[in-house]
Amino acid sequence: MKRPLRTALAVGLAAVLTASGCGKGSSSAGDDDGKTIRFVAAIYDDNTKPFWERLIKDFEAKNSGYKVKLEMVDWETMDSKVKTYVQTKQVPDVLNYNAFSDFARDGLIYKASEVVSPQVLTDFTPTFVEQAKYKGEQYGLPFISSARLLFYNEDLFAKAGINGAPKTWDDVKNAAQKIKAKGDIGYGLPLGPEEAQAEFYSWAMNNGGGWVDGSGKWAIDQPANLATLNFLRDLTKSGLTQPNPEATDRKKVFNQFAQGRIGMAIGGPFTRAGFIDPVNKNLKFKVAPLPSKSGAEHNTLGVMDVLAAFKKDGDKNREAVKRFLDFFYQAEKTSEFLKLEGFLPVTKSAGDALSSDPYMKQFVDALPTSKFAPTTNPSWSAVAGAVKTDLGSAVASQEPKTVLEKIQQTAEKAG
Amino acid sequence: MAASPPRRGAARPAASRLAPLLWLGPSLVLIAAVVLWPAVEMVRTSFLRISSSGLTLGGAGAGNYRELFTSEALVPVLLRTLLWVGGVVGVTMLLALGLGQLLNARFPGRRVVRWAVIVPWAASVLMTALIFRWMLDNDSGLVNRVLLDLGVLDAPVNWLAEPGWALFWMMTVAVFVSLPFASFVILAGLQAIPRDVYEAARVDGAGWFTTYVRITLPMLRPALIIASIINVINVFNSFPIIWAMTRGGPGNATDTTTTYMYKIAFVEQDVGQSAAMAVVNFGLVLVMVLLYLRVTREAR
Repeated sequence: MKRPLRTALAVGLAAVLTASGCGKGSSSAGDDDGKTIRFVAAIYDDNTKPFWERLIKDFEAKNSGYKVKLEMVDWETMDSKVKTYVQTKQVPDVLNYNAFSDFARDGLIYKASEVVSPQVLTDFTPTFVEQAKYKGEQYGLPFISSARLLFYNEDLFAKAGINGAPKTWDDVKNAAQKIKAKGDIGYGLPLGPEEAQAEFYSWAMNNGGGWVDGSGKWAIDQPANLATLNFLRDLTKSGLTQPNPEATDRKKVFNQFAQGRIGMAIGGPFTRAGFIDPVNKNLKFKVAPLPSKSGAEHNTLGVMDVLAAFKKDGDKNREAVKRFLDFFYQAEKTSEFLKLEGFLPVTKSAGDALSSDPYMKQFVDALPTSKFAPTTNPSWSAVAGAVKTDLGSAVASQEPKTVLEKIQQTAEKAG
Repeated sequence: MAASPPRRGAARPAASRLAPLLWLGPSLVLIAAVVLWPAVEMVRTSFLRISSSGLTLGGAGAGNYRELFTSEALVPVLLRTLLWVGGVVGVTMLLALGLGQLLNARFPGRRVVRWAVIVPWAASVLMTALIFRWMLDNDSGLVNRVLLDLGVLDAPVNWLAEPGWALFWMMTVAVFVSLPFASFVILAGLQAIPRDVYEAARVDGAGWFTTYVRITLPMLRPALIIASIINVINVFNSFPIIWAMTRGGPGNATDTTTTYMYKIAFVEQDVGQSAAMAVVNFGLVLVMVLLYLRVTREAR
């Protein structure tokens, strides 16, 4: 009897020793002097890493003694990495991400005013500052932005005898019917789990719908949203979209769009370089405002990624973080990044640099009418998750009303 | 390594009794560090309230479990997991019995065939799943092309968007990648059966069927048990096939407990509840393996 007991004790002891050993080792890694910071950057494409490497080299040369350790993470694994960093108390000093409000709620990050100079702070475009606030204080640092417009294939439109871009939902349906009559796909609808929330909101906002009501409460099952979903379901059930929107991602839609087999689809500034050019550089397409139910006003979907600066040991890392961020937010650095990656500016100074490209200019011009997902609400990521998982089924096997009510329940539970 | 100081300090008479620990120690430490500790952490996490950012907010009591058991997706997911594990392991073992027998037979080119069977095992599961996803694509996939050309189908089917078909194809992929291991374990088992037993059977005038059922199968028992238990655990925990092919969708229609667990953590943003699901998962594997061992022992 004694031997198993002793063995168990030994095992237990060993486990405790290893555990505590691990904990010690990692928390004391690196930045003792507060002059070395860790920057976790998202991989947007192949150009991202060389850009940051160059920028950091430049930064270290001009700020002697300061060091930046770069860590590149792709979007597929970003969410799980970020959660692990926070849970194991190994947060980076600066993080490039698409959410910030739950970090702000949990007191993990600096206010924007603490980590960038007043000049940088006033350079941010007000629309984006609004999206970077939590309880009235700006925490997120707007990093890149993007907008959505309607892409349409000129050749297919000509073949089907359609003049000009559709302005109303009825126009969209008519155009789709004409394109279908010629044997092509009218509208490419990606309602799969990849980005269902963006596609849906692009339609709902142009029908007066949205995620929250005037007082900021969740209003996902509101009548305007139901009407939107019914419209998309009708398009699907009438065979005017590609088959199975609930299982389609953007890549598949734009692959077929580039092959000239889809008449219309909603895309962003990155769509040309990222999806169309690699497949078919000679595609004749145009870009137009998102169609609305009434045709009177056209809103666009705005998307913004941010930088967030994490607190560590009081504010020991603040000076280094501030130097690095101020360095990045110089006009020529930010605009270089935006041009490289095909995103839209978040600062006034970088704004003009992009408007020289007529394709890009259309998106830059659309930014003032952009509406955003409620990223300032810490529960948004959980709600967006439910939308991604469940919304697509509303154009397939489920009733739109049931689906919206279910998501509304999830949202109310999340707070 | 870490366990050595307390051993040294023990009193002399005990020292000789503790001597085996010197040899066992390193592996025990390893087991504790990579197996026990994460398991303990998992259970601990399942009782914590964790913010969507990843910050621990405090204890949750049984709250995570209560929420998990009241979510309406859970029961269908559990049933589907049973179907998934039972179906994949059952079909794999049946096919592996045949394949093992084939690989054991003498025929020209046997070496090549044996190598060929290893291929799905050697290839990355994720790649295999992705290749199948492309083959099953409704727009440009090979499967639809072939079936359309053969006149089996009139219009392309979006295999992975229909939950029933998606599950069928994913199970096919799971069988495909599980087959090599099971076949080779069975092959090893077949090679371990002494030839004289078969000779004795032949002398007694037993037919091939009787020989197979009365001699081969019973003598394969250890190999079958090992192959199926490892298979059950592998298939149960199989994440990449489902994730690469359907992400458990549409909705939760093709989720197993493993992908559902991931979704709770990173889609619903609830790490605590996800840990509760992991504990349930762990319990299920344990129960299944114990039941299986019990059944096979009783049948002996």
